[in-house]
Amino acid sequence: MGSTGSVGLGGSVCVLWCCRGRCEGASETSRVERVEISVYCLSGHPTLPCNVLKFKSTTIMLDCGLDTTSVLNFLPLPLVHSPRLSKLPGWVSKDGSINLEKELKECGGRVFVDSQPELCLPERELMDLSTIDVILISNYHCMMALPYITEHSGFTGAVYATEPTLQIGRLLMEELVNHMERVPKAQTATCWKNKEIQRLLPGPLKDVAEVWAWKRCYTIQEVNSALSKVQLVGYSQKVELFGAVQVSPLSSGYSLGSSNWIIQSHYEKVSYMSGSSLLTTHPQPMDQSSLKNSDILILTGLTQMPTANPDGMLGEFCSNLAMTIRAGGNVLVPCYSSGVIYDLLECLYQFIDSANLGSTPFYFISPIANSSLEFSQIFAEWLCHNKQSKVYLPEPPFPHAELIQTNKLKHYPSIHGDFSSEFRQPCVVFTGHPSLRFGDVVHFMELWGRSSLNTIIFTEPDFSYLDALAPYQPLAMKCVYCPIDTRLNFHQVSKLLKEIQPLHVVCPEQYTQPPPAQSHRSDLMLELPAPPLPYRRCSVLSLPFRRRYERIHLLPELAKSLVPSEVKPGVSVATVSGMLQSKDNKHTLMSVPRPPPAAPTKKRKRVAEEPPELLAPKPLLSGAVPLDGFLATLHKHGVSEVKVEETADGHILHLQAEDALIQMEAHATHIVCDNNEPMRTTLRDLVLRFLQKL
Amino acid sequence: MDGECVKLLPQLCKVLAVSGKSLPDDTSLEKLLDWFSGLTNLGTGLVEACPCLPAFISTVIHNASPDPTILSFTFKLTGLLAATESSFKLLQENSLLLGSVFDPPHRWQEAGFWDDPCVRIGWVQGIRAMLQHPPALHFLVESDFTKVLLRLQTDTSLFVAAAANDVLAHILVTQSQLSGKCVDMEREEKSSIGKTVTMDADVQRLALTLGSSSDYATVVMAILEHVKASLVSKENKERHQTLQGLRLLIVVFGQARAPLLGILLKAVSEPLEALVAEGHSQLHLLLLDVLLTAYSCSSHDNPTTGQHNPTRDQVLNDPDSGQPADSLISHMLDTYKPPELIHAGAALLRRDHRDLSHKAKAAGLLLLPLEMITGLTLPGTQSAGSAEQRCSLAELMNSKTPCISLLCVCLTHATLLTCTPPDVLPCPIGSLVTVILSLLRICSGQAPISPIGSSKAYRNLIGCGKVQRCSLEALTALAVSPGAAERMSEVFSVLIEYLDNPDSEPTVLHKSYQTLLKWISVLPVPSSSIRDTLGQDLLSVVRKRVCDVRWEVRDSTVEFLGDLAALSPSNDSAQCASENPLVCSFTPHLVEALQDPESYVRASAIKALAQTFTLGWQQGAAPSQQQTALVKQLLDILSGDTEGFPRRAVIRYFSSWFSLWSQNAPGLPPPRSSSSSSSSSSSSSSSPLLLTSSVGSVLSLGSADLDWEVKVHTLELARLLLHRALSPLGASASLSGSDAASPRQPAPHPYAVTGQWAGPGGQGEAGDADPGGALAGLVEQGVLAVLLSGLFDCDRPVALKACGLLMDLRDAVCPTPAGAAPSAAVAAVTCKLQGCSWGKEVEALLERAGVVANGSKGEGSKGCDWTGDEEEEEEEGGGSVRVCDVLRSLDLDERLSVLSQSSDHVQNSPLSLLQDILSIGDRHADPNSQEVIVDCY
Repeated sequence: MGSTGSVGLGGSVCVLWCCRGRCEGASETSRVERVEISVYCLSGHPTLPCNVLKFKSTTIMLDCGLDTTSVLNFLPLPLVHSPRLSKLPGWVSKDGSINLEKELKECGGRVFVDSQPELCLPERELMDLSTIDVILISNYHCMMALPYITEHSGFTGAVYATEPTLQIGRLLMEELVNHMERVPKAQTATCWKNKEIQRLLPGPLKDVAEVWAWKRCYTIQEVNSALSKVQLVGYSQKVELFGAVQVSPLSSGYSLGSSNWIIQSHYEKVSYMSGSSLLTTHPQPMDQSSLKNSDILILTGLTQMPTANPDGMLGEFCSNLAMTIRAGGNVLVPCYSSGVIYDLLECLYQFIDSANLGSTPFYFISPIANSSLEFSQIFAEWLCHNKQSKVYLPEPPFPHAELIQTNKLKHYPSIHGDFSSEFRQPCVVFTGHPSLRFGDVVHFMELWGRSSLNTIIFTEPDFSYLDALAPYQPLAMKCVYCPIDTRLNFHQVSKLLKEIQPLHVVCPEQYTQPPPAQSHRSDLMLELPAPPLPYRRCSVLSLPFRRRYERIHLLPELAKSLVPSEVKPGVSVATVSGMLQSKDNKHTLMSVPRPPPAAPTKKRKRVAEEPPELLAPKPLLSGAVPLDGFLATLHKHGVSEVKVEETADGHILHLQAEDALIQMEAHATHIVCDNNEPMRTTLRDLVLRFLQKL
Repeated sequence: MDGECVKLLPQLCKVLAVSGKSLPDDTSLEKLLDWFSGLTNLGTGLVEACPCLPAFISTVIHNASPDPTILSFTFKLTGLLAATESSFKLLQENSLLLGSVFDPPHRWQEAGFWDDPCVRIGWVQGIRAMLQHPPALHFLVESDFTKVLLRLQTDTSLFVAAAANDVLAHILVTQSQLSGKCVDMEREEKSSIGKTVTMDADVQRLALTLGSSSDYATVVMAILEHVKASLVSKENKERHQTLQGLRLLIVVFGQARAPLLGILLKAVSEPLEALVAEGHSQLHLLLLDVLLTAYSCSSHDNPTTGQHNPTRDQVLNDPDSGQPADSLISHMLDTYKPPELIHAGAALLRRDHRDLSHKAKAAGLLLLPLEMITGLTLPGTQSAGSAEQRCSLAELMNSKTPCISLLCVCLTHATLLTCTPPDVLPCPIGSLVTVILSLLRICSGQAPISPIGSSKAYRNLIGCGKVQRCSLEALTALAVSPGAAERMSEVFSVLIEYLDNPDSEPTVLHKSYQTLLKWISVLPVPSSSIRDTLGQDLLSVVRKRVCDVRWEVRDSTVEFLGDLAALSPSNDSAQCASENPLVCSFTPHLVEALQDPESYVRASAIKALAQTFTLGWQQGAAPSQQQTALVKQLLDILSGDTEGFPRRAVIRYFSSWFSLWSQNAPGLPPPRSSSSSSSSSSSSSSSPLLLTSSVGSVLSLGSADLDWEVKVHTLELARLLLHRALSPLGASASLSGSDAASPRQPAPHPYAVTGQWAGPGGQGEAGDADPGGALAGLVEQGVLAVLLSGLFDCDRPVALKACGLLMDLRDAVCPTPAGAAPSAAVAAVTCKLQGCSWGKEVEALLERAGVVANGSKGEGSKGCDWTGDEEEEEEEGGGSVRVCDVLRSLDLDERLSVLSQSSDHVQNSPLSLLQDILSIGDRHADPNSQEVIVDCY
């Protein structure tokens, strides 16, 4: 680069550069040095990522997952008054020095915060969130922190997501708000967060990190405002970001509308994989081939349950469900209102008859139950081929439509209203929230927890089932843990990486070592030929990848003026003098306009407004000076006494009579003759005779 | 031979000679040869009986351009005809026909026919068929065919090469037994001709050693020279010859006896040693096989008599037989690379090698991969394998395919260790069990006991069903070994984990159940703590598995529960299966499984329930309310289930029940109980009442079933009833009806048609020898109706079984010659024909026999109407006939002979075959005829 300049991200500033470079027809590729790609990691949760990529003067947030495991430290929010919960004793330190009776309650040997549950937000101090240009969303589970990012942070950019991601994400946010607001709690506990106090609390509260990043749930207004910034995109649709990069979503096979993202410039390609699946479930299959040849792959959202095979878990789910119903018990399935539940219902559709469960009622209770079930049926283009083809018959893609039609599956917005009048036992209830801290599930835990005939089957992998059950102890009901996580496991991802061969892999540090509980399982970690670059919450990675080229367009009129000289067969070189215009991250090299005749004025002009002075470029020299030929020429011009000395890089010619030295090396020739300018000029001209001028 | 066939043969020969190419199908000629071969075995002299055959052979070989298929057939036919000495001589006398056929092959070569492998293999098989007597061997030597055979041993066609190897082995082994005859013949020949035969000195010496004819000695000499030459080290491209030589040696060493064995060993020991020393990996396992075959203990014994052959031992111990095989085997074990090393270890154990130090080494080698994977140290493996071998084995185990393959070989052969003497065992059986349990844990992704094992290798094994199955099989085999019992609780713990593991494949679960059953069967009675823990764990696992999504798992579980119930009495004689709390807790699951959507599971559940109640039935216990309700459910399945398997299982359930009950029951149930409805049966409180009232319904439903197997099972139940009724009369304990149709099998498939499931234990009670009463009882129970219905059934197995049973009945109740009057009591028993599908057929038979249905009902006759409509019977005037008349008029003996023939006996008859082939000639004769293409399914 001949000159430096800054280019505004808005793309409206015009800067003139002078440059010299290699000519390739009508376009110009310029070598760029020391332009870094960096990743800011705002979340430590591997499946609820929130990373920011700084690439080619754009700042792109990749997902904004909300870590809800923090709610496990709070007491459940019962829908109806719970004498058990209301009578829980407050916590006072053993020596009585700390009294947090109003904030903390003891239950089953553990201490819980008695407050509106709080959620762990992505890191907001690591960088200025207002500088984020765009947010790319992978799936509806990874967008739950969106209002925290877009609202009240000065964010002015755009959010890109597919339509199912937006619609189902909206439903899940609304459900979360509904769950929280339905049982309002006046107080907000903050004293326990005091560092001095927290370290004196019993575990696990004592060990909880990032407590100051915990916040109460957003409001519905914030949800609506955040989602109004979302722009819809379709698979493989290319979206240009300020002319600098193109982003494009690819099907990731995990959930309805779930995507991986390709972020690429002309010469670099960054892939972002989050929550992908190779299993044949309901979404469109994963697009693997488009991820090939990436310079950088940011890999997140692998399965949280690498040892639990989804098929086996589905079998366990069905067996335990049937076993409980046959024994006259009820089954409670705490689950999210979208996602795996579609597959569970499909599996049950086939299983109901074979297990003689035809007369057992199945209830799905959620404020968004109806919308979720209906949405799943209308997003045909986002479904796998089998389900898509059903639409043309026409048939509903998911069989839960038939379950609803035949009254085997009934859905209600809450336990109040119609449900209470139609409730029959034994039955199976699907309801949220899987953390068991809020939502209708709390009521069923209170209702069924004391009977050993009943079973709770955990299918969501996000929460430790033991922690989830902690405030309900002692519990008589059976607990079965069947986490169904269809995301890629380590075996699948290893095969995939062999196939797509990225240059560098960036991943959460959890993927670079076996799980702590199974340290011998070296198969449960990423093992790549080149070690992956691990990240953790709050880390900033400067990726070892250097951008080398930038594309510059050469205007035809300027191209015409070039005179290429062939320096060796097949390689021609020409010098270019022009004016570089950079606008919207696009660079154009054009002829330098002739300066208008300067009007005599005394007014001083601003430097920036003046076109640079066009100086004729010095010719570039190429070639080598042959020693024998040069000596002959010197002799011809009367220099006969020449002593030649061989050096490591060439020769030194000592012109004894003239008392001058000519040092000839591969890339430079120096003429040393003290105070004898005519001699120097003569010798220079003799040297130049042997070189080619460009 | 059938006269018609004899008539057709000349015509057939003409057709074959002319139109060999257009035979109806490729197998026609093979079928023809099979027929000829059968006739020869029966002693028919084909040359004398069918002169057209030598003429046919002559025609073909004099044909300038015979069809290769026909030429091949001709070689085989000639060999077959010359297989007996007399026919051979006849053919020899017949213008030297044999010589023209087989000799010289180069004639066929020149004509270009020898290039066709079918011609070459025909020639080889012809020679093989002929070589059954000394003159044939003489002919072989005289014609110098041994060279051709040796050349064909390395033929490009694998089939030809294998056939030539087979002939050479046949000559060496079989012909040595005929050598005595050869000597005599030679002497006779010499004396009759009065000339001296010049013989090579070596051959003479060999003939003397072998005590055989010079012909045999010549052939042996030629083969030995060839084999020796083939074993000498060669370039890779000639390796095929060495391989064939080794294969020949394996066959011959396995069968040869002294002195031939000694001669062979002496001849080849040197080149074998050289081959071992060279260490070509391609030859490793074959070489080991050769040595093990020659020196193994098992082949010392005469397979037929089981007697030891001392001469073989002498041969093996003879120092002249070259370097002892033991040192060669030691050399191999020291130099082999891991895959061959493990296979060599397996081979040594499999072949029961006599050298104990080798056996111990082999056992150590087999355990080496297991030790490496699990990281557990087994004492006996320290000396197994050199450091270099261990190193390369460890490296090999990091690759998935060899790792799994080697482990499977080790595990499969680990079971042989149970038969190994304790002093040879590399480690106690208990340690072996621990290693296998550790491997099973690794396969299910659990932490290994020791961290020494290779973590890379773990990856290959996690979730590997093949290794899991092999490990479980090995564990099953080890259950009965002394010392295994110490690990009982660990075994149960791992097996329960496997049964509980959601990722276990159905086949792995099935094997886990089988292994668990085996270990439970050896569980000592006093170990109640293990029993209690196991019972609780098992209950929770089984509860889940009977609800599994996969029907295979549900089926395996139900099957296991039945087998577990069947095990209980032997373990705990004080407690019957149905009273065992463990079994009792499973019974509701079995009853529930009767509603399973998968028919296999329903059938298995019925069988398991039968196994559960077996002991109760044996002890004559009164049925519980649950059993009473179950009978109704089973009858519902029999009448309404859409699948055959559960219906078959229901019949077998009742057969089993009846069989066990009748062993202890004092007498037959009161009459007139068969017509009671299922509702009345459910209200019955005593076992005989419930059973006999149900049996009537079972018989009528079963015989009316559309599934022939259900009907056969129904006939089996009828056989039991028949047996019980006829035993007091002194009828044969083993009624032929069952045996004719379905021979007894030791372990039948649950859904297979067999007659043994409910086989009666012994004779019925003596004393009640009233044939009339017994017959009336059978008629009343509906047994006769079932038998007659079966007799006229369109399915042959049903009719065949029914026919056999009816013959038994006839022989028992009216055994007098036809025309003689039966006893009054028997004659008084009648049956009705109306309303039955077979009634008209019986009526027609009776009319033909001159018996009138209505008129035969005598006064005071006892009988019943299985249509159950007595009023109608009265109105229609009866239609009863004497049972004895029916039995005599059925012509059962003739029916049995017809039914005994398979349904395709006409199509498979030689006549049909000849006619088929002849039809080609007709087609050729009529150019307008079009070939009829028949689809065969």
